[in-house]
Amino acid sequence: MLKTILAAIFSAGTFNQMLRSATPVALAALGGAMTEHAGIMNIGMDGMILMGAFFGVLGSYLFGSAAAGVGLVLLMGVVVGLFFALFVVKFKSDEFIIGTALNTFALGLTSFLSRAIFGASGTKGNPALPTVHIPGLDSIPFLGQVLNDNSLFIYLTWLLVLVMWLFVYKTPYGFWLRASGEKPETLRTAGIAPEKMKWLASILCGLLCGLAGAHLSLGQLQGTFAENMANSRGYIAFACVIFSKANPAMAYIAALMFGFFDAIGLRLQDYISSDLTNTIPYIITIVMMVYVVVRSQRKKRYAGKRLPAKQG
Amino acid sequence: MDEIAVRFEHVSMAFPGVLANDDVSLDIRKGEVFALVGENGAGKSTLMNVLYGINTPTDGKVFIRGQEVTAFDPKTAISMGVGMVHQHFMLVPSFTVAQNIVLSREPRRGRIFFDNAAAERKTRELVEEYGLEVDPAAPVEELSVGLQQRVEILKTLYRGAEILILDEPTAVLTPQETEELFAVIRRVVRDRGMTVIIITHKLYEVMAISDRVGVMRKGQLVGVRDTADVDEKTLASMMVGRPMLYDELEKTGVPGEELIRVRDLTVRDNRGLLAVDHLSLSVRAGEVLGIAAIEGNGQSELLEAITGMRKPESGTVTIRGADATGKSPGQIRAMGLAHVPEDRLATGLSRDGTVTENLLAGKQRQSQFNRFGIHQRTSTVERYARELYEKFDIRGAGTDVTAGSMSGGNMQKVVIAREFSFDAPVLIVAQPTRGVDVGAIEFIHGQIIDRRNHGCAILLCSADLDEVFRLSDRIITLYEGKITGEFTGPFSKEEIGYRMTGSRQAEKEAAV
Amino acid sequence: MKKRFNWGYLVSLLISVLLAFAIGAVILVIAGFNPLEAYAAMVDGAFSNARHIGDFLEYAMVLCLTGLACVLGSRVGIFNVGGEGQLLLGAVVSCQVGVWLAGYSAWIAIPAAALAAMAVGGFYALIPGWLKVKVKVNEVITTIMLNTIAASICQYLAKGPWKNANKNMVAATEKLDPRFWFKTLIPGSGLSTAIVAAIVITFLTWYVMQKTSVGYEMKLTGQNPRFAFFSGIKTDKIVIVCMVISGAMCGLVGMFRVYGVEHLYRSSISNQYYFEGLTVAMIAHYDPVTVIFLSFFFAVLKIGAQGMELSAGVPNQIYLIIQTVIIFFMAAESGIFASLRAGSQRRKARADIRRKEGEGHA
Repeated sequence: MLKTILAAIFSAGTFNQMLRSATPVALAALGGAMTEHAGIMNIGMDGMILMGAFFGVLGSYLFGSAAAGVGLVLLMGVVVGLFFALFVVKFKSDEFIIGTALNTFALGLTSFLSRAIFGASGTKGNPALPTVHIPGLDSIPFLGQVLNDNSLFIYLTWLLVLVMWLFVYKTPYGFWLRASGEKPETLRTAGIAPEKMKWLASILCGLLCGLAGAHLSLGQLQGTFAENMANSRGYIAFACVIFSKANPAMAYIAALMFGFFDAIGLRLQDYISSDLTNTIPYIITIVMMVYVVVRSQRKKRYAGKRLPAKQG
Repeated sequence: MDEIAVRFEHVSMAFPGVLANDDVSLDIRKGEVFALVGENGAGKSTLMNVLYGINTPTDGKVFIRGQEVTAFDPKTAISMGVGMVHQHFMLVPSFTVAQNIVLSREPRRGRIFFDNAAAERKTRELVEEYGLEVDPAAPVEELSVGLQQRVEILKTLYRGAEILILDEPTAVLTPQETEELFAVIRRVVRDRGMTVIIITHKLYEVMAISDRVGVMRKGQLVGVRDTADVDEKTLASMMVGRPMLYDELEKTGVPGEELIRVRDLTVRDNRGLLAVDHLSLSVRAGEVLGIAAIEGNGQSELLEAITGMRKPESGTVTIRGADATGKSPGQIRAMGLAHVPEDRLATGLSRDGTVTENLLAGKQRQSQFNRFGIHQRTSTVERYARELYEKFDIRGAGTDVTAGSMSGGNMQKVVIAREFSFDAPVLIVAQPTRGVDVGAIEFIHGQIIDRRNHGCAILLCSADLDEVFRLSDRIITLYEGKITGEFTGPFSKEEIGYRMTGSRQAEKEAAV
Repeated sequence: MKKRFNWGYLVSLLISVLLAFAIGAVILVIAGFNPLEAYAAMVDGAFSNARHIGDFLEYAMVLCLTGLACVLGSRVGIFNVGGEGQLLLGAVVSCQVGVWLAGYSAWIAIPAAALAAMAVGGFYALIPGWLKVKVKVNEVITTIMLNTIAASICQYLAKGPWKNANKNMVAATEKLDPRFWFKTLIPGSGLSTAIVAAIVITFLTWYVMQKTSVGYEMKLTGQNPRFAFFSGIKTDKIVIVCMVISGAMCGLVGMFRVYGVEHLYRSSISNQYYFEGLTVAMIAHYDPVTVIFLSFFFAVLKIGAQGMELSAGVPNQIYLIIQTVIIFFMAAESGIFASLRAGSQRRKARADIRRKEGEGHA
């Protein structure tokens, strides 16, 4: 039995499913990493994803092209990011309240508009994003099956992970972004307004979460919108952000971990409930958080002991 | 040499409710080390924050090297050659030394990429040029405080500062680190012709490093002298000002039994540094023991350790004969101690609570306010609050408004009213009249002496020396966590001021 | 302690509500509906017949209890976002206790189920509470994670070990013995005798928070924990206890949903109901009495919106939009006022100096 289980886990199908499950989460987590670096606890990613999913389909439906759908998503992403920043940065409202409200608002707005525009049965079969076939990749036995013939955004995500990672760690703007969250006064005394970076982070987060939603509706589900289709992916993305300490590359790996447990949950249904395997990433996230906090406290205490005592 | 680096013309800076700088006019010459001294809250940092563009002055003009400052923001100040090392370092802990130094003016590769190698190279060049040894690639969070300060100085040098402001740079340094810092200051002034402004309240440091010294008191610049023309005693008396003329307080009774006893107490501060260093003291019934010390010399940690707000590292605290070491504030209060904390907003009050709620704190379980151990006797509580409100002459919009909406002086009266009405035999009183107007000061002093005359043991700590002199039966001076002197009246202001500023001379005498 | 009535709050709330309805109207117009007809249908939907009244009272009860559970935590400075998980676990465990005790008297089964619901909900809140107080781990994040974990565990239990015998119902527990059902007060609606228990709990919560010494200590702890500790209160203990009670209340709401409405456990027992209660608590600025009143308001809105969908064909989600717009305004209100106030204070300070100088020259 162990053999069949292992075979089921380590099949190409599992890893392909992992990639599919991970991608929307990873895109949102990239966005969440931006706001996290800017010192904003962003609970509102679920709503941002949902807005992306809906407006992607709406654009595709109205203009008859997936590209137009993505265009509308990008526009809405900026609007949502600006909206979020207006409350959180400008009015200094509680970020948790605004995030929660944004989730509910997005749920209400997209469900309402979906029913008003598409009727109770929803919409499907709108122009969708293409899948990408890479010639020659098929000849590689295992990897070919896993990596080839996926939806466009799966490949775009790889590019975005690289771009965001470079942005955060290799450009001056990334340094400003991190400083604005870790110690805003530092930036202010250097003559740069930390609020600017927070606005930028919110907009980037709106854009990336929007793309995550567009991937769900226009890529994964081939032009279909279903109510509440973000289905808590925003919270999973949030867990990835916490887990990865907002490092884009690590966030992608964390998303893959979620995707992996999702995929084996589906494959091992006969042996263990997928509901139980689904909890594993969340438990790991909590353990990680405790570990991070305990370690930083111990470090601080140690630093105090190490410093010489003042002497008269 | 007499070129003017910085000129303040009639600068005033008002914050809501406080005039932090009051018509300050001052010239600072190019190439000098200028020391700005004064007690806490005298307005030194506010004035320097104006120069660095963090504060926009409410009134007046500032000139930097002859040019009038038109826009008050750090960016402009930096571009005009001003650099500032803040008391709380402005460093991003997770960044390396080089990354912190170049922040906002990063060397780039291909226009958009951060060039870390160039940042480290430039840092190394600065390190070598100024002899400020530090590893450019080390993360700042792993550096000692002294090294972090070096990074701050290097940062201002990288930004091309010609005028360097140091806000209490030695407060966090060991004596060796202080010596090294002074060597650096001398070097940049001599070799680079820089102008250095140093904010401090350690007078021997003023004597050691500065060319000229300006003294501030209550927002005003009370005098500027050539350091060579003054001594520490003169400066001390300029800082504390002329004693205010009060009526003599009537003190009666003789000290009774020992109610507070501290033995060999050692306490660490939030950074883990030794703040109270094997200290012993005792206070008897009917006696006020005053602590004279400049802020940051362990008095806060000492009082916190006695009252249970902070766990001591070693030593013992005994209250009325019972061991109180490391107990919780609740347990220590039950032993008969009441406490007016130094920071009323952080510790002494709930700003969002009503005056009534603030007056009740700590007494809510007393049977007069509590039926069956559960139900709060609201009308009794309200009546009691109104009584205290009257008795302690609190002035505001009644007992139903939030404490945060009151003036500082009235908030303080709320704290005093609550703590003094415990009728506790032991009172710990810190900064009882900070930010309180003259009339209220008189009233609070009266209350303190009244408690003393009723046989209370009082440990008093205040930044206002006049207050300590007026109320205390006995005074100890504290410097860097140790007692540097003990005095019984009549007190010599010069002598005490001298000891609490940690002058080397005083230490030698104390050692003898 | 007497608190003067907060007129400013009422005015901002009314303005927010009006603006929210106005924005809702704009969205309705854009989507091609007549807003006046829609809102009329909404009022009609909530009050037109006894069944709807029963439904909205039942929902008001859920909002009120979950809202108060949230207030209980925030009163001591801990934010219980994990109520959804506590509610679900309370529901599934209390249901299964009822299934196990099928042969026993209702006098044994119902108290046992209630205790089980409170115990499991309380324990599930203890984890983040303890982590917050003792380890200083952000409770908002841990409770969000724990929500998802709880939902999965409940799903697992309802699909697996505690699944009912009926092959057609995929994820539900066994149905309860009808003797254990709470009596339905208005036939056809969800309103059951649970509302009596809810009223008692609401009263007790209000009483403890507003009228007792413990409530006073809770308030102090939430307002300024350092001050509370300074004045002798055991702040760690009070925070953990309040968190546990908050979790127990959520668990009990889960039990009420099972024993009063659904009579078995399935995931529809709660559709993010705790989050809606939390929303009410936020809008009420965590004031218990306001929570009680607003619960009715939002229950009317929700049930009315459902009626509106049936009668006027307007999607009911418009109520979510209206509700969240109210939150946005209420959350931003203090920020807007603060920026206005800061500006006027700066001007005042400058004017003071000018005046002082004017006197000096004179």
